[in-house]
Amino acid sequence: MKKFFKTYLPFTGNEIKRNLAYKGAFYLFVFCSLFGSFISYYLWKAIYGSTDGGAIGGLTQNQMVIYVFMTYVTSSIVKVSISEEVSEDVVKGTVAMNLIKPIDYRFSLIFKGIGSSVYRFLMPGIFVWIGVELYSCLVLHEPFTGIVNLVLYLCSAMFSFFIYVLFDFCFGMIAFFTTYIFGLQMVKSAVLSFLTGELIPLSFFPAVFQKVFDFLPFSSMVYTPVMIYLGKYSGSELMFVLARQVIWIVILYALGSLIWKKVTKRLVVLGG
Amino acid sequence: MFVFCLIKKGDSMIQVKNITKEFVSAKKYPGLKGAIKGLFSREKVRKTAVDDISFDIAEGEIVGYIGSNGAGKSTTIKMMTGILRPTKGQCIVNGIDPSKNRLDNAQNIGVVFGQRTQLWWDLPLSESFTILKEIYNVSDEEYEERMNFLNEVLGLPDFFDQSVRTLSLGQRMRADLGAALLHNPKVLYLDEPTIGLDLVVKDKIRQAIKDINQKYKTTVILTTHDIGDIEELCNRIIIIDEGRKIYDGGLQELKDTYGKTRKVTMELRQVKEAEKINWTEKLGTTEDKYQVTTDEEKNQLTITFEKNEIQISDIIATIMEVTEVKDIQIQETELAEIVKEIYNHQFQSEEIAE
Repeated sequence: MKKFFKTYLPFTGNEIKRNLAYKGAFYLFVFCSLFGSFISYYLWKAIYGSTDGGAIGGLTQNQMVIYVFMTYVTSSIVKVSISEEVSEDVVKGTVAMNLIKPIDYRFSLIFKGIGSSVYRFLMPGIFVWIGVELYSCLVLHEPFTGIVNLVLYLCSAMFSFFIYVLFDFCFGMIAFFTTYIFGLQMVKSAVLSFLTGELIPLSFFPAVFQKVFDFLPFSSMVYTPVMIYLGKYSGSELMFVLARQVIWIVILYALGSLIWKKVTKRLVVLGG
Repeated sequence: MFVFCLIKKGDSMIQVKNITKEFVSAKKYPGLKGAIKGLFSREKVRKTAVDDISFDIAEGEIVGYIGSNGAGKSTTIKMMTGILRPTKGQCIVNGIDPSKNRLDNAQNIGVVFGQRTQLWWDLPLSESFTILKEIYNVSDEEYEERMNFLNEVLGLPDFFDQSVRTLSLGQRMRADLGAALLHNPKVLYLDEPTIGLDLVVKDKIRQAIKDINQKYKTTVILTTHDIGDIEELCNRIIIIDEGRKIYDGGLQELKDTYGKTRKVTMELRQVKEAEKINWTEKLGTTEDKYQVTTDEEKNQLTITFEKNEIQISDIIATIMEVTEVKDIQIQETELAEIVKEIYNHQFQSEEIAE
């Protein structure tokens, strides 16, 4: 176990350093995505303003503000796209360079992902988070989020990260068959922003849809940790959503191993 | 059979047994119309890149693996490193089957693909070495010892703190070679390690490979298009063409077998006199053993002959009887010529296989 971390942790460290080397691109990414969050903030403000001030879909206006920005924080640390890296490795043939080393390709990608995730959590995740807390406390006069919810949120967000990354690995495997997956990636991000509850909280959907979402891994990616943060789950329900996340990790891990086995059998290394 | 295998295992580092690799790809049609047609067609094209190749390589050997572009060199290397799985056949590297046990095999091998890099592109070179140290589980003392050696033979300290993307090709290649050797692999695969390098760097790389081979008894397999690499490094070469092995043996033997002819070019005072010579009689041989051409303008006479049959001194003596020799040039068939002829399918495969 110690050797395992000793082998893969340098990937995390190097990814953080790599992110630091391309700061400009990163700030632009932060700016663009935060911009999106502000748009939905004003949109929701207008929607709540036109109603009688009650809760919509189980969320009050103040909770909605927290939802919008915590979704931003969560998805920025959870949605680390490793499929992009897979597709680049396939197109350029660099996947061969990974296979000559005594390392598991998936673990190396996951640990790289952890690097990006940590970096994004520190920059700007935690600042946005503090900002949200201060805003909700000082302006909206809501109480600070309890320590239990905080810990549970972090725990759940960690599970979410693994679900997303393991899912994305499976998705990236498509690149071995089609070479380019840029178009599919656009489709993926559009569909995911719906299904993860990033765009609209899942509780806004009709009951039938919500039943379907329960059987998909996507709701566990962003929606679950944010709702935990808001304290919407308690007791057995809380245990259930956390257990569901763990189950998804297991399923997606097994699925990834299976696909990887198939892929390496018919692997073609491009160029030279 | 089992006993036989056990004995063999001790002798050879690499055993390749009848490996074959086929690639299946969707059939492509030319033009826009073809592209649309391709969307609906499910026709597949099967291409055999490596066809039933076998060889054994002993520990500490440096083997040149050569062939024209697309002959299947890289594909074979990729199968030996465990990147690709053979369609048929098996290879065993240091007792491990790379296609079944890639991770264990990877611990034993070092690979340099001249066209690619295994270094972290965006980070200083030193970072790549630190991470490789962890990946291969190299202890601190070993790391120190190895780095001292590598710094000496490859001159890494000059650019150790630069980020990899700013390195020149020569520096990058030296760094890549160093990275492949950090964990002291038993087998080193070099896929065109001198591609695009200048003469000085080429020399450095070759010297480094020699030093490593001597010091650590590393088995080296080298593919290259540079004849100089082969002449300087390899004691054995394997030539493949269109996926088949067409030669496997020593370098000197190849030269002896296929470099049978010699060429003498002489500048004479009276080339016309020389034209009258009856060579068959004078040299006591048959007509198919030699070939004479003359150039009257330059007063030159060229004889190509089989060196086992005809002595060069006889030729010169014969000429001296009739005219004066002003200048003389003797050419052995070069390895490059031999290889070129092999690539051009000048030799029958059967003949070479003997």
